[in-house]
Amino acid sequence: MARSMRTCLHSGRLALLAILVSGGIVLQILACALYNNWWPMLTVLMYLILPMPLIFFLGSNSPSMMSNDGDTWVNFTKFLTGASIVGSIAIPSILKHAGVIGWGALTMELSSFLVFGVAILWLIQMNSEDEYSSAF
Amino acid sequence: MENLALLWGIIGPGVAGAVFGAGWWFWVDAVVCSSVQVSFLHYLPGIFASLAALMFNAVNKDEIGYDYYSPYGDDSEWRVKLWLFVAYVVSFVCLAGSVGMLVQDALTDKGPSVWTGVAGVLQCVLVLIRYTVVNL
Repeated sequence: MARSMRTCLHSGRLALLAILVSGGIVLQILACALYNNWWPMLTVLMYLILPMPLIFFLGSNSPSMMSNDGDTWVNFTKFLTGASIVGSIAIPSILKHAGVIGWGALTMELSSFLVFGVAILWLIQMNSEDEYSSAF
Repeated sequence: MENLALLWGIIGPGVAGAVFGAGWWFWVDAVVCSSVQVSFLHYLPGIFASLAALMFNAVNKDEIGYDYYSPYGDDSEWRVKLWLFVAYVVSFVCLAGSVGMLVQDALTDKGPSVWTGVAGVLQCVLVLIRYTVVNL
């Protein structure tokens, strides 16, 4: 594949990723604005913690995240990621259980979470294939 | 089988964080949706269970081996075993205390959802010790 073609595809993928993330943000804000109930904004706290492993370890050697090492900080950030994944599902569920929000807001919150998850997974995959292709 | 161990090493801390988060979020749900005020006494098993989980994690698994030379002298593996013993005792006392509180609250009128919370908090202890042990 020609060099320019590859960079074009790469920036196309980055643009698609940005669209996904902004779509997730729109869904999140819609879940609050459509029902005039701003409680679901609490989930934003969880979304802040969610991409922390990427933020901390994207610059450094990224095989350290996908490999089986025992580095304590990598483990701790994975721990935080796991907790925030559960938290971003749990906060809308608790709000629904307590009767603070309705079913529509709940489904919008959960779909915004799914969109963010897909975007982050795609970002990780794009990063790891960047490593392989830049070795040539 | 080897792949399974590798995969567990990669996502192990994430799963531990997820179950820890699930445990505490079940507790938050129980407190939010309960019809009466939950007294501080009910928070105690959860707090001590999390402390016991931290105690489990503070032990480096290599230190319990027979060849370990520690800076405290040659026969100091009893300290690690004592630490682990105290951690086990605290976690089982929390489990018993939460069951006792459940039974006691079921006799009056306010118990049932408190149990989901406390059980959730206690399964977080189990997962945190699992992920350090399986990492061998």
